[in-house]
Amino acid sequence: MSGKVSYRKVTSLIIKEKIFSTRMLLMFPILLLFIPGMAWGFSDPSIILPGGHRPETPMEVLFYSSLGIVFGGTMCAVLMAFDGVSKERASGVLEVKLAQPMSRLSQTLALVHGTSVAVIIPVTILLLISVFIIRYRMGAWPELMDIIIHIIATGLILTWYTLFTLIASSKAREQGTAMAFGVGIWFFFTFLWALVTSMVALASGIAIGQDNDSSWIALEGALDLFSPNGVYHHILETRLSGVQRGVSGWQIWLMTIAWTVLPLWILAKRMEDLVP
Amino acid sequence: MAEVVLQLVGASCRHYISAPTLTKPWKKIRGPGIPKIDLALYRGTILGLVGPNGAGKTTLLRMLAGVLPLQKGTAVFTSLKGDQTIERELSTSVELRKVIGHMPEQVRWQGKKSVHDAITEIAAMRGSSEHRILGLIKLVGLNSRIDSPLDELSQGMRQRLTLATALLGSPDILLLDEPFNGLDPVAAQAFTQLLQQLSEKGVSIVISSHQVSGLIGIIDRIALLHRGQLLIEGEIKSVEKDLELSDRFDLTGTSQPPSSKLVKKLGMELLKSETDQNSWQMQLKGNPDGVLKKLISEGIEVESWQPHAPDLVEMLCSSTGLRVEDVGLEITSSAFLPLINRGVEEE
Repeated sequence: MSGKVSYRKVTSLIIKEKIFSTRMLLMFPILLLFIPGMAWGFSDPSIILPGGHRPETPMEVLFYSSLGIVFGGTMCAVLMAFDGVSKERASGVLEVKLAQPMSRLSQTLALVHGTSVAVIIPVTILLLISVFIIRYRMGAWPELMDIIIHIIATGLILTWYTLFTLIASSKAREQGTAMAFGVGIWFFFTFLWALVTSMVALASGIAIGQDNDSSWIALEGALDLFSPNGVYHHILETRLSGVQRGVSGWQIWLMTIAWTVLPLWILAKRMEDLVP
Repeated sequence: MAEVVLQLVGASCRHYISAPTLTKPWKKIRGPGIPKIDLALYRGTILGLVGPNGAGKTTLLRMLAGVLPLQKGTAVFTSLKGDQTIERELSTSVELRKVIGHMPEQVRWQGKKSVHDAITEIAAMRGSSEHRILGLIKLVGLNSRIDSPLDELSQGMRQRLTLATALLGSPDILLLDEPFNGLDPVAAQAFTQLLQQLSEKGVSIVISSHQVSGLIGIIDRIALLHRGQLLIEGEIKSVEKDLELSDRFDLTGTSQPPSSKLVKKLGMELLKSETDQNSWQMQLKGNPDGVLKKLISEGIEVESWQPHAPDLVEMLCSSTGLRVEDVGLEITSSAFLPLINRGVEEE
């Protein structure tokens, strides 16, 4: 069996195991509530958001619904990956795997691929259901490119959180630490990043939260490049008209590559040096 | 003597340990491990790798298994092609892993996954067929448990599952780390027979253990490891002879024990003697020819007479010249073996 076939087989076994796990069964109602639930809510013709915003196009609804991905999808990725390495390391199964003639890099890539795809599949299905909900509620489809970009961006953010958590799992000797690290990162980027942005704004003498202040918008846009959630929203915003946050397209794609390659490189390096 | 199948030449693998300083908090130095080892594995033989806790047995097995990299030295593999032998240096760990099956110590298989699914996952990394998987499950006696969740397996069954994963690639070399832990006597006996069958088929087997007695009767050769250093390696008889631990016998009997004068007269050396009210036991060293007959003719009531199998402690003390406290508990810091100069700690 060639290396590619082995890689595909190992990846598909991981996907199968994770997707039918009890954890996914528990997460699925939450994802259901967060993703199609938000699409249902934001596509309500009479909804008025705080600040007087009103989603008018299907893509805007998809954009607002992405909050469900940021809250629910990424948490699902953390929960699926937190024991990806630590559990097998503690039980000795990792040593059995590392003794097989499949390179550690291939094993690492299969783990990342399998774990992230196990989250991406249900999330994508729910996203597509959201598209139908939007059509039903608003009477219009989002553009095909909107849907494609949304799915790609969602796949990326879920992969990033999977990577962060797997790095934590490879560092931690026991699962509690891996879990705390994964949830900590999720909490930091999901809730505390606004605090970081505010602190930087305060230190720079920029008024905080002024939506009409171009300096605040530019600062927030720039700082968002250093957060996976921020980059995710930057990618989605490329499909929205009238959004100007002072960030160029090349900067967004550069940071997208950085957020993908750097954690992957760290994890691969870590797994290469790992003593079971 | 059987031909060499794998040879480690000047192989080294030392673990990195944190040694933070004020200026370099991330500093790591090379700590314990295997500083340098030369070891040959022979086709169709079973090698017992023995040593106390922390001797480096697991590290050495992991080096052989390609789980830990060889930081220095080489691994030369000899394969058979018809009547020809082909020697090649295995430059990567992956190449090493292709010819080796590794059974780590006490793997705790857990979860709702079935036995079949667990082994299939490992087999996918090796490209083994479904036929091979089913055959191995049958071979290790887990056929009736093929669909059982891993959580329901006993420790012995988990050991058998680990053995099945080690045999997946039909390995030329099989490494077993403390394989008898958790096995009941019946399973251990069956396991031993399986190992002997594999050995007869030409598989080179390495069994690590901290107990020599459990390996006697199974192994052909023995390697004694202590603090990462190979003290001695060879056939059991020759190792016993080299360590002056051969020709020893345990005797037990009733009524009067033989006097030390009589023992000397028989050309034997008295090593140990314990006397109870109506029984006694002794350990003698020397040529046993005719000794038992003479003892009986002198009116000594001998109940049992058997060769004394050396234990790990005796072998370690004999090979290092140290006392048991120094070897086992490292009481004296000066007890560091002077066999190999590890040099200064390297960054």
